Amino acid sequence: MSWHVEPEMLEAYAHTAIDDAHAYSIEAHLVSCGECRAQIATLGDQKELETLWTEINGAITVPTPGIIERGLLRLGVKDHVARLLAATPSLSVSWLGGLILALGFAVTAAHLSSRGFLMFVVLAPLLPLAGVAVAYGPRVDPTYEIGLAAPLSSFHLLLVRASAVLTTSGGLAFVASLALPQKDWAMVTWLIPSLGLTLASLALTSVISPLRAATGLAFVWVSGSALALYYAANTAATAEDLFGGIVQLVMVLVTVASVALLFGRRGSFERGVRH
Amino acid sequence: MNSVRIEDAVKRFGSTRALDGVSLEASEGITGLLGPNGAGKTTLLKVLATVMSLDSGSIEIFGRDPSRHRHRLDIRRRLGYMPQEPGFHRSFTAFEFIDYVAILKEMTDRKARHAEVDRVIALTGLEKVAHKKIKALSGGMRRRVALSQALLGDPRLLILDEPTAGLDPEQRLRFREVMSRLGEERSILLSTHQTEDVAALCPRVIVMNHGKMLFEGTPKDLREVARGSVWFSEARAPEARLSWRTGEGVHRNIGTAPPGANLVDPSVEDGYLLLLGDEAFIEAAWRRSRQCAGRPWFTGRYR
Ligand SMILES: Nc1ncnc2c1ncn2[C@@H]1O[C@H](COP(=O)(O)OP(=O)(O)O)[C@@H](O)[C@H]1O
Ligand SMILES: [Mg+2]
Ligand SMILES: [Zn+2]
Repeated sequence: MSWHVEPEMLEAYAHTAIDDAHAYSIEAHLVSCGECRAQIATLGDQKELETLWTEINGAITVPTPGIIERGLLRLGVKDHVARLLAATPSLSVSWLGGLILALGFAVTAAHLSSRGFLMFVVLAPLLPLAGVAVAYGPRVDPTYEIGLAAPLSSFHLLLVRASAVLTTSGGLAFVASLALPQKDWAMVTWLIPSLGLTLASLALTSVISPLRAATGLAFVWVSGSALALYYAANTAATAEDLFGGIVQLVMVLVTVASVALLFGRRGSFERGVRH
Repeated sequence: MNSVRIEDAVKRFGSTRALDGVSLEASEGITGLLGPNGAGKTTLLKVLATVMSLDSGSIEIFGRDPSRHRHRLDIRRRLGYMPQEPGFHRSFTAFEFIDYVAILKEMTDRKARHAEVDRVIALTGLEKVAHKKIKALSGGMRRRVALSQALLGDPRLLILDEPTAGLDPEQRLRFREVMSRLGEERSILLSTHQTEDVAALCPRVIVMNHGKMLFEGTPKDLREVARGSVWFSEARAPEARLSWRTGEGVHRNIGTAPPGANLVDPSVEDGYLLLLGDEAFIEAAWRRSRQCAGRPWFTGRYR
């Protein structure tokens, strides 16, 4: 900064003994100059300054946060949490757009054939799985290393982001499932597998890299589903038959085991996850 | 008390020994790590920044052991770290990004946090671009953003990996000014492959190569390594390991000086080159040939 407000002017401003035109130009400078702000903090009446201060601070932080962050703030999320979430790739506008698109296709497919409905059930759990995989870790978070060296618990950061991703993709999948042709409990057969796969990927992240964990699980889920569909091809099996009882039960067990493993190994996240 | 103590540090990547038995201590002041690419500087700094663990050896920071959870947290609370290739959330503004890191540093109170963000922004002279998106900033500006985040919370230990890479000469001067002011009461460890940086900035220099420490001392000591090994001559001296024509038209030679040679005062770079040996001479020769072609700033910036 090459020029600063002259001390006399600053003094006058601090005591609000200055005309509007000058005050305006000083404020314009204060917004961009930390040194003069520091200077003015030592002058004048503290109460008056406090008021000026909040106004200037307002102007400084006004450069509006991104749309996601604003949305979160409006939902009542605390500002520091909103900032942590805004830095999550899978909470970006383009990611959410992609989710809506994918779900839209799946719903359309479900209306075209009963196999299409099964596609929806197979696809829906993959969305939060992918979302969580790109929410945290050295490959996807450009500030991963800085974050690791910082005192905020990396495990905490992981959980905050993973819950936000699960909530958004789960919420969107739920809305999409309301548009499905089937209107019984089969419309939510994707829910427990979503939880199971996502939590399993988080738990595995304490051992292998987040991307490897997610791709491995996606592979198991998709090939398992494909096998089931293959053997059911010549039967009249419905979604309930294929993804009902046994799959749901297995996924509940996977969820419980994953939560146990995840919390048991929480310390490993503070040492850093694999690349 | 020493802020940092490392003993016999070994870190392998496959068959490469990135750290091959490094021992060092550092207390208040600036310590410069000097070494060519691949010397192990980044690995050492990552270990000190608690983001990488050693294969063997011991390490203590502020008397705490970073492999223990509680201790590590204590260390992280007093640490500022600027990685060699800091990433950014590019859609954030500079202010938002630094604010984000401030949150990672446990500053939850919004008002106090913003005041602190403003402070480091003023310190690095980023006021004018604070509200520009990071993706719109130049490389030099981004490095200053990365430096700002390391200064948050006024940490007692600053670990800066190649903080001057990509800075133009003016930014470099400003950086040195900020550092020398900070270095008085804090421990700063920085890496560089620019001898001018350590000569201008670091009371203490450590030269590394192939994961080993080759030298530890003041820049003056490093210069003295080359005393008696630098001389001027009219023509290229056959004894020289490196020889180039200076602006004044004489040849400046480094190597084993012949008897009766016109010896000159060595520079820090001379000492550094002699310590490192042939590899470094080749690199320096290459660099100078590029400079003679009239593109002196190209090599570092666009690597
Ligand atoms: N993650 C890694 N995987 C494999 N090799 C690595 C890794 N990090 C560093 N190395 C190797 O370790 C050596 C030291 O690297 P580094 O610490 O980055 O050196 P410097 O920072 O001095 O250039 C180099 O040979 C480099 O190739
Ligand atoms: Mg390096
Ligand atoms: Zn000013």
